[in-house]
Amino acid sequence: MDADLGLAAQLAANGLIAGSLYALLGVSWGMIFATTRIFHFAHALTLAVATYAAVVVVDTARLGLPLGFVTAAAAGCLFGLLVEIAVYRPLRRANATQLNVFLASLGFLIAGESVLLIVFGPEARTLPGFPLEGIALGPVAFTTIEALWAAASWALVLALLAWLRLTRWGRAIRAVASNPELAQCVGVDPPRVFVLVFAVGSALAGIGGALIALRDTASPFMGVQPVLAAFIAVFLGGIGSIPGAIVGGVVLGLAENMGGLLLPGHWQGVIAFVVLFLVLVFRPSGLLGAAAR
Amino acid sequence: MEFWLHVLNWILLLSILGVSLNLLLGYAGLVSMAHGALFGIGAYAAALTARDLGVPFPLTVVIAVAFTTAVAAAVTLPALRVHGEYLILLTLAFQMVVYGLMLSWTDLTEGRTGVSGIPRPAIAGSALTTPTQFLPLIALVTALAFAVGWRIGESPFGRVLKALRDDERATLAIGKSVLRYKVAVFAISGAVAGVASALFAHYQAFINPFSFTLDRSIFLVALVVLGGTANLLGTFVGAVLFVGLPEVLRFLEARQDIVDAVRNLIFGGLLVLFMRFRPEGLVPEHSRLGRRRRPVTAPPDVTGAAVIARSGPAPDGPALVARGLAKRFGGIRAADDLSLSLSRGKVTALVGPNGAGKTTVFNLLTGFLPTEAGAISLDGRDVTGLAPWRAVRAGLARTFQDVRLFERMTVLDNVMVAIPDQPGERLGPLFLAPGRVARAERENRERALRYLAFVGLAHRAGDVAGALAFGEQKLVALARLLATEADVLLLDEPASGVDPQWVARILDLIRQCARAGRTVCLVEHNLEAVTVVADHAYFMEAGRIVAEGTPEALMADARLGEIYFGTGRR
Repeated sequence: MDADLGLAAQLAANGLIAGSLYALLGVSWGMIFATTRIFHFAHALTLAVATYAAVVVVDTARLGLPLGFVTAAAAGCLFGLLVEIAVYRPLRRANATQLNVFLASLGFLIAGESVLLIVFGPEARTLPGFPLEGIALGPVAFTTIEALWAAASWALVLALLAWLRLTRWGRAIRAVASNPELAQCVGVDPPRVFVLVFAVGSALAGIGGALIALRDTASPFMGVQPVLAAFIAVFLGGIGSIPGAIVGGVVLGLAENMGGLLLPGHWQGVIAFVVLFLVLVFRPSGLLGAAAR
Repeated sequence: MEFWLHVLNWILLLSILGVSLNLLLGYAGLVSMAHGALFGIGAYAAALTARDLGVPFPLTVVIAVAFTTAVAAAVTLPALRVHGEYLILLTLAFQMVVYGLMLSWTDLTEGRTGVSGIPRPAIAGSALTTPTQFLPLIALVTALAFAVGWRIGESPFGRVLKALRDDERATLAIGKSVLRYKVAVFAISGAVAGVASALFAHYQAFINPFSFTLDRSIFLVALVVLGGTANLLGTFVGAVLFVGLPEVLRFLEARQDIVDAVRNLIFGGLLVLFMRFRPEGLVPEHSRLGRRRRPVTAPPDVTGAAVIARSGPAPDGPALVARGLAKRFGGIRAADDLSLSLSRGKVTALVGPNGAGKTTVFNLLTGFLPTEAGAISLDGRDVTGLAPWRAVRAGLARTFQDVRLFERMTVLDNVMVAIPDQPGERLGPLFLAPGRVARAERENRERALRYLAFVGLAHRAGDVAGALAFGEQKLVALARLLATEADVLLLDEPASGVDPQWVARILDLIRQCARAGRTVCLVEHNLEAVTVVADHAYFMEAGRIVAEGTPEALMADARLGEIYFGTGRR
């Protein structure tokens, strides 16, 4: 019985750790999606490109981990801007449908992953230099890297929340997300806001990618799985709701990990899917979304 | 030689999957990012039943089809309520889950080792093993798949799918059950994919999860999109391109992963460029290639009233009576204990200031919004709470303020699709009674041309609807509404946003409809138009009817003028 409780505590801790990263990626993607309505699949590429930039700085040039994180944020930010300006903006001007914009995003993702593979090779790369130690808290054990995941994710998520609520630009973003036409009427310029959310959201994705590479590795295709978790977090929580994306991320992390109590490990992914399936069937607007879409 | 035949077999197998996806993506506008997974489910079903249970070949195809059909239909359960980006997410997640299970559920799938020793099919006593021996079978099945796909896509059924793709609300508003068509198209798509997957398993004699990745799904989407959506010839072209290009890239003599990356780079880049410069793909939907286009001509004897006259004797009493309707949005009462009645063969107008709730009334009457109280009866029959498409079938149809034509379809198809009870909309007659379907199609085509002649647009029948001027689009919307054969017609701002020259014509057509026995109710801001066209008017303010009478009497009421023009102190 005690062993079971210990296991449950450990799984809950794992779930919270994974969930904080999902929350970070969820808000980074959800902010872009809610504002621009682009199903920005190439976010996965932003994450990978930024992580490779950090790998070059830390592993190749040996400039130290802190600079690596700064690079990841900067590279993510610039790359996100590039995608918005070079890919999405021309499509919007050509009145492309939402589906076609998504398909372009998909094309950009697979083309970009291929470039990464040709340039850096298929071998996984690492982001070395973080002091890795185990931490035991009662029945729960985790590593210093995982502690950093949780701490950094929550710091960034809370900072973003504060920024969105308290600053002029943050309010402009929320205005465009809730009603673009109306926002335009009160003097907010949607194209500039789009650039802004891509810059901020992509920088956060870059940091997320670097955090992942600390514990796991960097590879050209590293972005898809975490970004899919971000999508799920956003839809679970409710589109357009930043707190929703945070809740969605944590729920997803917990569901995936706590599911291990009931089912064998390889069903972990199925649990996430079932949760998503049920929410879409019974509450399509998401856990924290407005009741009507 | 064997090698090139193998390439050909691959092209054929992929093009079957392409047909399956094109029905969903191209015709019905429903994205599936899980076609790779679906392909895998069918392949494993066929492989495992053939090898471990000794099920003989043709039966394994049936089993695979059963699995993929059931799975495709089940996954779409939430997709029936949601669409667009939700569907992308749902299918994406499903793809990842299934791929994960194929890798990790080793008791069943043997993980990354894969399933080997899948029995080769035996036909007439001799086993098929080489690509040459397989080619006739695969070619035959491919031809069948294309025939089925073409039959479905280019039929009245396919026409409803395209309507669904272009505008889901408008599809409901012409009386088609969106739900039924969605389930059906997912199931058909699943079944076609199942056939390809079973053939694949037997052909390779070995399968592992790496054939069923997200990449495979993405490539199938790219294949269909680059080839051309809603055009099966395009899908074949796409398959040739997608299988052919990697074979050409072999001449690079680089490492396999580099070759793959170059291929992905090319296809990814093409996808971005096509979406920007040629979103319709290599072989566009309305291309003359790959389909017969009969010239569209109007029937010689067109008189308006003949086609729009209501059939059968008219019952007594008002055509439509609504009592005590109510609807709140948050704190706002958009409809508050609202009652009205529409006299048969008359034109009734709903007027009032912006935000009075006029369009809400239409939404409540036609079932687009559920009413919170009250009842609606049509010819004495209770129609309260009917789904929008059922209300249309009962004889109560509406247009939209923003027109909502099916923009990528021709003008003729826009009207034809609205005609009720077409035998070709059901799969049974479509495949089993082609003669009846063809006959009905000829009649409906003629009928649709008459509706178009009535509104004066028969000469535009072959044009794509999105290319028409706004005024012409409103007329097509009217023809489409008439084609539903509904008795009670609700027109949401039929004359607004239209050049004055069109206004007179539209008003005249509305009068003609009423004279022919149809009951008309319209919402209109152009008060002059209301005075010309309406027999009776209701004045609405803040969700309530505050006055009724002839349009002239209402116009003369100074108090109402104040409400309407906002000159008072309110």
